[in-house]
Amino acid sequence: MMTVIIRRNEKRSPNVDLSDVFDEQAGTISPVIYSDPDIYQMELERIFSRSWLFIAHETHIPKAGDYFSTYMAEDPVIAVRQKDGGVRVFLNQCRHRGMKICRTDSGNAKAFTCTYHGWAYDIGGNLVQVPLEEQSFPGLDKSKWGARQARVESYKGLIFATWNEEAPALAEYLGDFRYYLDTVLDASEGGTEAIGGIVKWIIPCNWKFAAEQFCSDMYHGTMSHTSPITAAITEEFPALDPTALSGFQFRASNGGHGTGFFEAPAGTSWGFRIVQAAGLVEGFDPEAAHSRQAAHLGDKRGTIFSQHLSIFPNFSVFNGASTARVWHPRGPNEIEVWAFGLVDKAASDAEKEQVRLMTLRTFSAAGTWEQDDGENWVEVQRVLRGHEARQTKFNIQMGAGATRNEGADFPGTISNAYAEEAARGLYAQWFKLMSDEEGTSSKRGAYVHAAE
Amino acid sequence: MTFVRVCSENEVPPGEALRTESAAGPVALFNVDGEFFAIEDTCSHGQWSLADGYLTGDKIECTLHMAKFCVRTGKACTLPATKPVKIFPVERRGEDVLVDFDGGRYAA
Repeated sequence: MMTVIIRRNEKRSPNVDLSDVFDEQAGTISPVIYSDPDIYQMELERIFSRSWLFIAHETHIPKAGDYFSTYMAEDPVIAVRQKDGGVRVFLNQCRHRGMKICRTDSGNAKAFTCTYHGWAYDIGGNLVQVPLEEQSFPGLDKSKWGARQARVESYKGLIFATWNEEAPALAEYLGDFRYYLDTVLDASEGGTEAIGGIVKWIIPCNWKFAAEQFCSDMYHGTMSHTSPITAAITEEFPALDPTALSGFQFRASNGGHGTGFFEAPAGTSWGFRIVQAAGLVEGFDPEAAHSRQAAHLGDKRGTIFSQHLSIFPNFSVFNGASTARVWHPRGPNEIEVWAFGLVDKAASDAEKEQVRLMTLRTFSAAGTWEQDDGENWVEVQRVLRGHEARQTKFNIQMGAGATRNEGADFPGTISNAYAEEAARGLYAQWFKLMSDEEGTSSKRGAYVHAAE
Repeated sequence: MTFVRVCSENEVPPGEALRTESAAGPVALFNVDGEFFAIEDTCSHGQWSLADGYLTGDKIECTLHMAKFCVRTGKACTLPATKPVKIFPVERRGEDVLVDFDGGRYAA
């Protein structure tokens, strides 16, 4: 008798030469990173299984037993509020034959039972019952066969999880980016809450186009979004001159996170949101909302508006429209967008309605601005079906060499709003992780940040 | 026959359940539109607490494998359960609800 042993290394050996795909000094990027299936499989291992990934907002699962089904890249997971108030995130996969143990989007559960053979798990993901156990699995140690648990941590209302046992704490992972993230998450007493449902749709494009644009790209706005800007112009809210706006971009000193924003000219911070919502909601006082946030932030951040940001690798916010979203990767050529509205808990009902209408009309599945972005990403992806197109390098040089530290009262590595410094930061982090077989660069101690 | 006070009736609103320990094992008490019933708490199929289940009318559905039992008779109404659970006599004294834990039996 011969025994055949088939081994499949859990780590994918790199059969792709990555040495030339990103050159920060030269300011070039090879578009194979957006289309190559082998690179995509490496990303699942080296980017998504090593980084902290956004899961849900705390207010999506307020009560014990509340659950939210989502994904960590391609891996389905369930996030569940525990009786002690904590959150667990575990793989949505039965340990017996791999069926999903939760097949609904969200709700309140007392247990999760696999619909294939009936293995049942409690809300902590522990295996608690196996049908016909005495006959079928005598002596089974159920404590060893619970659902795979991820590490879970929260930052100001946002729940994240990672499979990387050696990743730094979430706060350290975010590092000096927190200062700019707080403009969104900590702009009022009590922080934020999620409103509306989760709006989900599919875009046939690579996840990095979306993540990079929200991280770094203010530049496309005046070209790509000319039509919804034009359509909404009124006498009261005329178009702003983009060349006259003062704006900045920030590249996190480590980790690949980035953001950009304008400083609002006096009295205009809510104008964009009002005009894009087709009018002022009755009872909403934009001046009071602006004053509340400026007083709470207490520094120059009170002037920030139209802020875009990405937390590496695939969570983004456009605070100009109060939309937060995950770009779930679905192969090199497709993403699922999962978006929700983000408002201050302290906001009045009228303010929340103002935000809801604005987000709905601009950045949601049928939003005007959203169509503009999706159209670009889809078309770029289609071009990459061409062999020659995939060999033709892209220019990522905007603002190279023009960064400064501690610029204009905004701390950190700061550029002009129209720059690609944060994009270079995102790709530098991507390249570092992808080139690192052992994953050392994703472990505690590897995240060194500038003094905060 | 010894009736023991389990709770006051307003502690278990209609449609709700209470799990209580006894010498006869865990017992589940249900309020069906103001009428109280007590049955063995442990599902005869999957060893799980029925008091944790979903009560619709006088049927309790186990949260693990969706087996249903009648809380009046203890009989299994749906697969995967095939065996009944015991029922216990219940008595009301004023606002108090009492159960005779010695009187557990399978319905005829």
